[in-house]
Amino acid sequence: MAAINFGYTISKPRAIDIDRNNLRKSDEILHEMPELQACIGCGSCTAVCTAGNLTSFNFRKVHTLVRRGEYEGAYEEMNKCMLCGKCRLVCPRGINTRGVAMLIKRKLGDF
Amino acid sequence: MFAAVAWKWGSWLWRLSSDDRRRILKGIPSLATLQAVGETVSESLLHRRIFRVNPLLGYMHMSLAFGWFLLISVGWIETVSYMGFRWVPLQGHVFFKYFATGLPHKPVFEFTMDLLLLFVLSGVALAWGKRLYSRAMGMRRTTRHAWGDRIALSALWFIFPARLAAESLTAALYGGGGFLTGSLGAALDRVADPALLGHAATAAWWFYSCCLGLFFVGLPFSRYMHIFTEIPLIFLRRYRLRSGEKEGAFDRFQIEACSRCGICIDPCQLQQTLGIDDVQSVYFLRDRRYGRLRLATANNCLMCGRCQVKCPVGIDLNTLRLNSRDTMRNIPDERRYEYLKGLDRSQGAGKVGYFAGCMTLLTPRTLRAMERIFGAAGEEVWWADREGGVCCGRPLKLSGETDSARKMVQYNTDLFRKHGITTLVTSCPICLKVFREDYDLPGIEVLHHSEYILRLIRSGRLPVIYGAERYTYHDPCELGRGSGIYDEPRAVIEAVGELLEPASTREHALCCGSSVANTAISDGQQLRIAQAVVQELEATGAETIVTACPLCKKALVRGAKGEVRDLAEIVAAHIR
Amino acid sequence: MKRVIVIGGGVAGMQTALRLADDGCDPLILEKEGELGGKLRDWYVLFPTFTPASEVLAELKGRVIRRGIEVRTSAEVAAFTPHSVTLAGGETLACDAVVVATGFTLFDARIKEEYGYGIYDNVVTSADLERMFAEGRVAKSDGSRPRRIAFLHCVGSRDEKVCQSHCSRVCCITGVKQAMEMKRLFPEADVFNFYMDIRMFGPGYEEMYREAQQRCNIHFVRGRISEASPTIDGRIQIKAEDTLTGRPLKMSVDMLVLLVGMRANDSNARFAAQSGVERSPSGFLAPKSLFLDGVRSTAEGIFYAGTVTAPKSVGECVCEGYAAADAAAEYVKER
Repeated sequence: MAAINFGYTISKPRAIDIDRNNLRKSDEILHEMPELQACIGCGSCTAVCTAGNLTSFNFRKVHTLVRRGEYEGAYEEMNKCMLCGKCRLVCPRGINTRGVAMLIKRKLGDF
Repeated sequence: MFAAVAWKWGSWLWRLSSDDRRRILKGIPSLATLQAVGETVSESLLHRRIFRVNPLLGYMHMSLAFGWFLLISVGWIETVSYMGFRWVPLQGHVFFKYFATGLPHKPVFEFTMDLLLLFVLSGVALAWGKRLYSRAMGMRRTTRHAWGDRIALSALWFIFPARLAAESLTAALYGGGGFLTGSLGAALDRVADPALLGHAATAAWWFYSCCLGLFFVGLPFSRYMHIFTEIPLIFLRRYRLRSGEKEGAFDRFQIEACSRCGICIDPCQLQQTLGIDDVQSVYFLRDRRYGRLRLATANNCLMCGRCQVKCPVGIDLNTLRLNSRDTMRNIPDERRYEYLKGLDRSQGAGKVGYFAGCMTLLTPRTLRAMERIFGAAGEEVWWADREGGVCCGRPLKLSGETDSARKMVQYNTDLFRKHGITTLVTSCPICLKVFREDYDLPGIEVLHHSEYILRLIRSGRLPVIYGAERYTYHDPCELGRGSGIYDEPRAVIEAVGELLEPASTREHALCCGSSVANTAISDGQQLRIAQAVVQELEATGAETIVTACPLCKKALVRGAKGEVRDLAEIVAAHIR
Repeated sequence: MKRVIVIGGGVAGMQTALRLADDGCDPLILEKEGELGGKLRDWYVLFPTFTPASEVLAELKGRVIRRGIEVRTSAEVAAFTPHSVTLAGGETLACDAVVVATGFTLFDARIKEEYGYGIYDNVVTSADLERMFAEGRVAKSDGSRPRRIAFLHCVGSRDEKVCQSHCSRVCCITGVKQAMEMKRLFPEADVFNFYMDIRMFGPGYEEMYREAQQRCNIHFVRGRISEASPTIDGRIQIKAEDTLTGRPLKMSVDMLVLLVGMRANDSNARFAAQSGVERSPSGFLAPKSLFLDGVRSTAEGIFYAGTVTAPKSVGECVCEGYAAADAAAEYVKER
């Protein structure tokens, strides 16, 4: 069925609604990789990112959104990652970033 | 038992790919068959490779395998000599002594059989000892077995003592026996009354046959399947069958050829340094064989290859683990990496291409040094990825995402061809390995920078000064065990200074711990491995630790007190 | 009179000795360098007031001389117990108590290879910059005036990759101070400070931060620089994520200043093994308690002053000098 254009679209609410978001997957991810909570958001991972150099992929943003229960599109975004491991070499908090990328893909494959 | 073994062999062979089958057919009439026969004798019976790793363990395995083999064959000959030349089944001898009590004695056979029994018993005693106190056998740790293995193992351990008891008791009742069973029998005859001996003899023979039966029934389903799997494995390997990046039928031959001897446990640094003791190759193969492999086990491996070097069966452990990861993780996605289309950030032009690799971009000192070396040698260079390139694909492959890795391989292959290079130099061993093994680059020679620099030095294009510094060299896993490059980096170091070898070196070199193949261990655990490695390197007394991999360098520098340098840096500092 | 040996002649050590003399003890300062002053000798002006470091140092040194406190320079300590100190030369000095004021070591920025220190021109550390201020010639390596300057906070602190997980505290305010000084020297230049978190813990610091932003127009970018590389025209290209916009950022600058952290001295490990005092996970020596016994060690008769226990500012070190001296004096009197 063709989409009917009403001349306007219903935009999704901007706020991250923690009350509404289901944090079960996020909890599972943090249970397997508790060190992800240690992220201080310095952006080093994203700055060195080989894929982020070529696309809009932002590792820091994706895993932060996932931790807030915003899973939509996370799998597709993480699929841009080449798993090259540069981010793991620069993370000042010693987070196993490659493991995080793989874990998020494994947990959110069906989102 | 023979039916089960035959079924297994048959079904695995049946499932082999047509290419593999063609290889077998081509191989059978060739010299490979003879070589395989020789290898079967030296490995399956004599266990030559275990001897090289650990003589005591070698003796233990040899006494059990070769001793038992001789016991069966000499026993068969003995039976034949009594029964005359007619058809005697191979197992005919097993209860020969029990039934053939009235025959005249042949002391030569009795002596030989006793000697062999003693030979086997010494192996059993060592096996007992190894279980109780593995350190005495030169193994810090031995395998923890599943219960099925324990039953088969116990049966095996009791077979020979039971046989000793049974034969001795028979000798006590009817006389005969060699120096061992005969004299034991005589001693028993003196102390016990004949009726009791008669009952004991019956019980001992029953116990003996139960153990034997239990062992042979359990064999195809326990670790002892390796006895019969190693033989076809040797033949198939000689016919050039290999495991690949996807699981295949040949893998079964490799997996079930594992005897779970546990030799792979000790060299594993996850065990040595971190005390992780449930992920080593022996456990990985066991879990995969019984279909209960977990992702956590498959992922937790540095793939440094230290265990593979030591494996007495020569199982291709890394490839098996990789194709397990592929099965568990590979999710083909056609749309993935579409953004690579049309991308080209390379600079310069020349017949020589330089691919720094992602990690090298974080070690600018290496990049700088390569720049100086190219400049000094007057080489025109095409810089493939100085402004950011596309990963070589090896990390993805190591993580099991083999189909996605193909896209990177394709992208970079096209890029290299487009720029018409004839030589591709990389300073990252991870890239090197994938370029050599998975890229199709006709007309392009792929070199690690250690090989390239050595060529420049040897051909006189790069004059260097010999200095007074003392260096020690850390073999990167992917370069040494992975690509067989040990001598070139050493030759380069010796051209500019003195080289001191650490305790573990060349194929036994330690892994820095930061391997991209492992996504399970934490940063702190990586650091602990690196510190342990650095300790060994610094113990050489060298002022500078040299390595030839950006990842190793980044790892080692965290634990080092002194300098850690890439090979290129020390060369660049010694250009005349 | 009771002899108390103060190991280290920096601000903490000098103030400890002065106070010990006030308390009626007989202090001896052992300084491994050729003269008193410690790290402060290499500093130009102090935050948050831009007071010249030389002014503070001269006053403190003057008091030490006027009090006639015994000082031995070029005297490196090899080992100590509460009642004896052995010098590197083998000489052993008896005493009644020891105050350890051995300070800290500056992080070696060459270890963070990706920032290019020691590889490219015009990548300097905050310590280098102080020296340049003091010598009065701040310029690019070719002598020209920098037009764009970047400061990077947290080099060698809060970084598990170099085994320095602790926060060095004073680099944030040092970065703000140095950025303002650069702006004063080069009003036409743009100054960018790249930070992960800005920690303004002291009196007047937050105000100074605000002044840097508002009056000096210094740009604060929340993101840690990940790589630096040279450009063809001899500048330095830096890459970071501008985390507040969520986009990668790159820019070329004429000078990159790395705000290096304070790390524990290597000698701490040796001292801990020999003297039975304890070390914290960061490698600094651990006081008996962080609350009531901040200047006491876990061993009787050994006291701490200054940055040997944690990164501290100059003022805090001087205060600890008083406290450590009083604690040591009390100990030797009861003995």
